Amino acid sequence: MNPDDLRYHKEHTWVRVSGRKATIGITDYAQDALGDIVYIDLPEVDTDVDANSEIGEIESTKATSSIIAPVHGRVHEVNDDLAESPEVMNEDPYGKGWIAVIEIDDASEIEDLMDATEYSKYVEEESK
Amino acid sequence: MKLAVLGAGPGGYVAAIRAAQLGAEVTVVEKSEVGGTCLNWGCIPTKTLIASCELLAAARKSESFGIDIRGEILPNISKMMERKNRVVETLVKGIRALFKSRGITIIEGEGTLTSPHEMSVALRSGETRNLLFDRLIIATGSRPREIASAKFDAVSIISSEDALGLSVIPKSIVIIGAGIIGCEYANIFGSVGSEVTLIEKLPRVLATEDTEISALFERELKKRKIKLRTNTVVEKVGVRAGGIYVSLPGGEEVVAEKALVAVGRDFNTNGIGLEAAGVAKAASGEIKVNRAMETNIPGIYAVGDVTGGMMLAHVASRQGIIAARNIMGKNDKIDYTSVPSAIFTSPEIASVGLREFETAEKGIKVRVGHFPFRLLGKAHAIGEIEGIVKIISDFKSDRILGVHIMGPRASDLIHEATLAIRKGLKTKDISETIHAHPTLSEALKEAAEDVHGEAIHLGAGEVLK
Repeated sequence: MNPDDLRYHKEHTWVRVSGRKATIGITDYAQDALGDIVYIDLPEVDTDVDANSEIGEIESTKATSSIIAPVHGRVHEVNDDLAESPEVMNEDPYGKGWIAVIEIDDASEIEDLMDATEYSKYVEEESK
Repeated sequence: MKLAVLGAGPGGYVAAIRAAQLGAEVTVVEKSEVGGTCLNWGCIPTKTLIASCELLAAARKSESFGIDIRGEILPNISKMMERKNRVVETLVKGIRALFKSRGITIIEGEGTLTSPHEMSVALRSGETRNLLFDRLIIATGSRPREIASAKFDAVSIISSEDALGLSVIPKSIVIIGAGIIGCEYANIFGSVGSEVTLIEKLPRVLATEDTEISALFERELKKRKIKLRTNTVVEKVGVRAGGIYVSLPGGEEVVAEKALVAVGRDFNTNGIGLEAAGVAKAASGEIKVNRAMETNIPGIYAVGDVTGGMMLAHVASRQGIIAARNIMGKNDKIDYTSVPSAIFTSPEIASVGLREFETAEKGIKVRVGHFPFRLLGKAHAIGEIEGIVKIISDFKSDRILGVHIMGPRASDLIHEATLAIRKGLKTKDISETIHAHPTLSEALKEAAEDVHGEAIHLGAGEVLK
């Protein structure tokens, strides 16, 4: 269920790296736990973000949660479509529900994140 | 006892009625319309427009409630204004009828004191009339503050009062001042489709509210696509072909069709003859009164906005009652410990008592409980899940010190807390009171429980925002 080509952060965000561009989003587990997403506060383009820090907020019918950046870098692009249709994050968290593209300085930090198998195990532990 | 009341707003008209009930012979002098700013250019007309905006928003999300509306749903501002005018007219007539039933005389004209016991009234007919009285209540109110850098022209650079006369929805509007009035208008214009930019010189919107409430509300503004610029000083607002420009520091400019300036209100103390009567003003311009609402001149009282402090209609009315009773021989003092405030934004905001930062400033050790509306069945049923109830209580005694609400019907929900604070109740007095289910009031009960970590519908360790 969690795509094999992605890396995962313990705060339930994913990263897809292509050169120096890292696309990020929230995982299927996260969207399911949040329930119907009604609003997303996106980061601003050209701002610097730190790994493990809050870069935005997601509000669902159940809760408001922080979006935690999985990597360091500069916000290159954000998914503006989410402002109009935040429900896309529920429907397609790994595709159309992407949140932002971050230009990364250090591709090696990606290696510290979990792969799909590790993340599945991690989620299994968390939900016990 | 001949009582004259200068000004028939929520301070003056309430004082007049109470004094008449207690046996005074009352004459009210009003230069424009009974009901004052509140009824004619403030609370009531804005709430009437907000009701239209809420219905518009509801109609637009009708599909999610299982109701299909065919055809376009559009605001019609002229009809919204017509409805507002009808509501205001009805209520104005209501006050006039109350005056009549209590034998209160109303003189329509501009009153100017000529001595502590005499007033000359310039009637609308052009004649002048002299009025003698034993006691006087000054209730002349306030008006929108004009600033030199943004002079009102009633067309492009407008006040909160001018905004009520608009017949076309502006495509874009810059609102200067993100206080109560600025935020209410931001919501109104945002609802009917104007592109709204809200500019505030302070670091946060609604700076008089609890900081958590301000932060939550800023997110609601974002959701509604209202652009917010805090920490921003406006250097100048000018008119340019087809609209206005707002100059900001660093050469930046914001352009729009109109600018609404809502940066406070000034006291109506000029031209009413305060000097002739010897009534003293404070350095900041308001009429000085004691807690019996009496000015420095015995027998002359003042109530409402013109006395500064909390410039709220319901405070003015309470002050009016205190003044009327004291004039009729009682010995009452105003008590400001439990004054609710209500902001009719979307969602509504209401508060009473201390804000958390105030308790820190005063060095009071507190407990804080929260409860988000999104965990409440009724909130989901009505489809309004945004917001929280926050209760602050004294750490040792458990007495409730402050309650802050953002959420559906916040302005109605605040009164349980207002009574609790007035009577020195504890959080357990609220949590042990059975609250009807399913209601929005349950959020207060749950927040009171959360003060001690015992809210039923809040998961252990759940982080709230």
